[in-house]
Amino acid sequence: MQGDTRTSGRAPRDAPIALRPPRHRADPRAVHWWTVQGLLLAAPLAGAAAAAYWAFTDRPGWLGALVGVAGAGLLLAALAGPRLGYRVERWEVTDEAVYTRKGRLTHTWRVAPMSRVQTVDTARGPLQRMFGLADVTVTTASAAGALRIEGLDHELAAELAARLTMLTQATPGDAT
Amino acid sequence: MSWRSLSARGLWASSVHSLAAAVPVGVVVARVLSGLGWRPAGVVPAGVGAALLTVAAVLVHEALRLRATRWRLTGDRLELRSGIAVRQHRSVPRDRVRSVDLRADPVRRVLGLTVVRVGTGEHAGGQTELTLDPLTRRDGEELRRALLPLVPDAAGNGHGDGVLAELRWSWIRYAPLSVWAFTGGALVLGALYKPLDALGVEAFSEETLRAVWQWVSGRPWVTVPLVVAGNVAVGVLGAGLLFAESWARYRLAREPGRLRLSRGLLTSRSLTLEERRLRGVEIREPLLLRLGGGARVTAVATGLGKAEEGETEDVAALTPPLPHAEAARLAARIAALTPTTVTPAAPARAAVTPTAVTPTAVTPTAVTPTAVTPTAVTPTAVTPTAPAPAIPTGTAPTSTTLAPGVLAPAVPLGASGESRPEAPGGAGGGAWAAVPEPVGHPRAARRRRLVRAVAAVAALAAACGGWVLWAGRQGWDAWAGGWVWLVPALALPAALWLAVDSYRGLGHALGRRHLVTRHGSVTRRTVVLDRAGIVGWTITQSYVQRRAGLLTVTATTAAGAGHYDVPDVDHDDGLRLAARAVPGLLEPFLVRAADGDRPGR
Repeated sequence: MQGDTRTSGRAPRDAPIALRPPRHRADPRAVHWWTVQGLLLAAPLAGAAAAAYWAFTDRPGWLGALVGVAGAGLLLAALAGPRLGYRVERWEVTDEAVYTRKGRLTHTWRVAPMSRVQTVDTARGPLQRMFGLADVTVTTASAAGALRIEGLDHELAAELAARLTMLTQATPGDAT
Repeated sequence: MSWRSLSARGLWASSVHSLAAAVPVGVVVARVLSGLGWRPAGVVPAGVGAALLTVAAVLVHEALRLRATRWRLTGDRLELRSGIAVRQHRSVPRDRVRSVDLRADPVRRVLGLTVVRVGTGEHAGGQTELTLDPLTRRDGEELRRALLPLVPDAAGNGHGDGVLAELRWSWIRYAPLSVWAFTGGALVLGALYKPLDALGVEAFSEETLRAVWQWVSGRPWVTVPLVVAGNVAVGVLGAGLLFAESWARYRLAREPGRLRLSRGLLTSRSLTLEERRLRGVEIREPLLLRLGGGARVTAVATGLGKAEEGETEDVAALTPPLPHAEAARLAARIAALTPTTVTPAAPARAAVTPTAVTPTAVTPTAVTPTAVTPTAVTPTAVTPTAPAPAIPTGTAPTSTTLAPGVLAPAVPLGASGESRPEAPGGAGGGAWAAVPEPVGHPRAARRRRLVRAVAAVAALAAACGGWVLWAGRQGWDAWAGGWVWLVPALALPAALWLAVDSYRGLGHALGRRHLVTRHGSVTRRTVVLDRAGIVGWTITQSYVQRRAGLLTVTATTAAGAGHYDVPDVDHDDGLRLAARAVPGLLEPFLVRAADGDRPGR
């Protein structure tokens, strides 16, 4: 950061660094959960498009191809997206901090120090319950949003929440 | 302490206020009745009666409200019971009180009343404030003193008490440098429309509009400049008046442990802000103001409420628009007041422990990292927290683990020439020593901005092309098609200028106690954020940024906007900045990258 950062950047002593991925992935069952969720969204959309094409148009060939490609794309995204997401979305909890990574095109890493954690919540939707999964949400005093760890085994999630709560209670102050 | 009621003089205040509603009601009733063919002898008493009824209704409501509202200050809580139909009991711990705001409009001032708003800074529940409306001025001042007692200046940091800034009327020259100056005339017309309509003057009837149009289109070279000049004149006058009302008697003073801001010509306002709630300061330069060489200073503090409706200034505003040099000087002085000192050599936990936030506390909770026993939730979940040996990370095959000391020893950053000091000739003097001047970002950030500008203009041009085709099909005049190309033609230089200007504004720096970030063109913001006030990091990298070797580092904080960005910083610089700003937080997650791993460089 010395000198003129506009042109070149770093002083020679600075070795290139990177953020390492957090250690843990979501539970493998989360892939199924995301897939079902995606299909629940994509299948009706594709179906509606096909039905509309069948019922309300003169069924020109080019439009049929377009609808077919769009529908196939939607279904493919619903099937492939979760698998990609499973590889990208990671989390880690140390005694000092909570660390998550998210995002397929735009990567987002978030770190919150344990001393600044205010609340720890777990949540389970109906679909997640079917797969035995749960989310853990960690909030800090910032209004900028919480760290979410999605698709954990629900027992692990409960244990993690308990541990986080214990760790944060050990720190005094109102965490602002 | 026993429960106390609000001031009964509030009845007088609200009866005067209710006239604002009662008079139009009377006028409307009178108009309707005379429209029905009543004689004046009947119309006038009916109108007056309706007005009186309105006043009476307001008074009854106010009396009920005053009767229903009780408050008390106990040893550790401020409590408020209120609500006529739905009873409400709010109770705020006194140590949660973060600001006390006294406000009196002209009516309340004459009556010796004031509205007290107590800010508690809780995000949950939406209500961040507790309002006592009204108290007598004496009670209000007393309550303020009780809630925010003077803290003896334990820090003794020698920045001097007393007045930090006072109004200079020459600053009024910056008042018209806002959009209000351009829209002023139209706003006045809009504001006049309703009352005129109630009085039966149809300002916007078809005939008037047609007459106006004929007058304008008759001799456009005379009338258009005349209209524009009139609009600007009204806008400038309005902005000047607004400035006078908002900022007359402006005074920003430091009392031990807190800042006190008072201002206002007709409505007097006074805000007291505890310094331990201060997490930094922001210099805000909207485009017009910046081109005129002005800036304003706002506080980055926890527990400031939202601006009330109809209020002209941000609650966090600490100054009126003032010369940039003065703004920078003042910002540096205020930044120096933020309560904590990060000692970079201290253990990481101590640096971010909230106890360090109180002005007097120097007692870091000494949790030595190695002393923490790994609890076994998942066997792999617990990372060894000792900074010492390098652990091979199986999950990052392309990277090697960061050896200790890659980030360089934790030197006092500001002192070691981390960033350039204030440019010579700047207004800084000694004060800026603590707040370094931001350094710029890589050229790739400029390329991004230029590409974005060109893309936006291209989209605009495409839209214009569509319009031309459509207009041609409708068989419209050629001028509708031809002139529209002026829009992208004019937009292109503007967009390019904004892109370059935005890049020039980009910058970041790390001071001994502060993280400085600057960005924005339409509104350039320079945020000086207390490093101890950072409660986490968000680092984002879009696909394009990945290709360009850039990323965006966002410091999250409990104060102000909640997060402050360092956009489009060099990948490594950004990570180092974050790692150094809060020692110990990001380091465990950093590794030394293999060079082949790094696209875009």
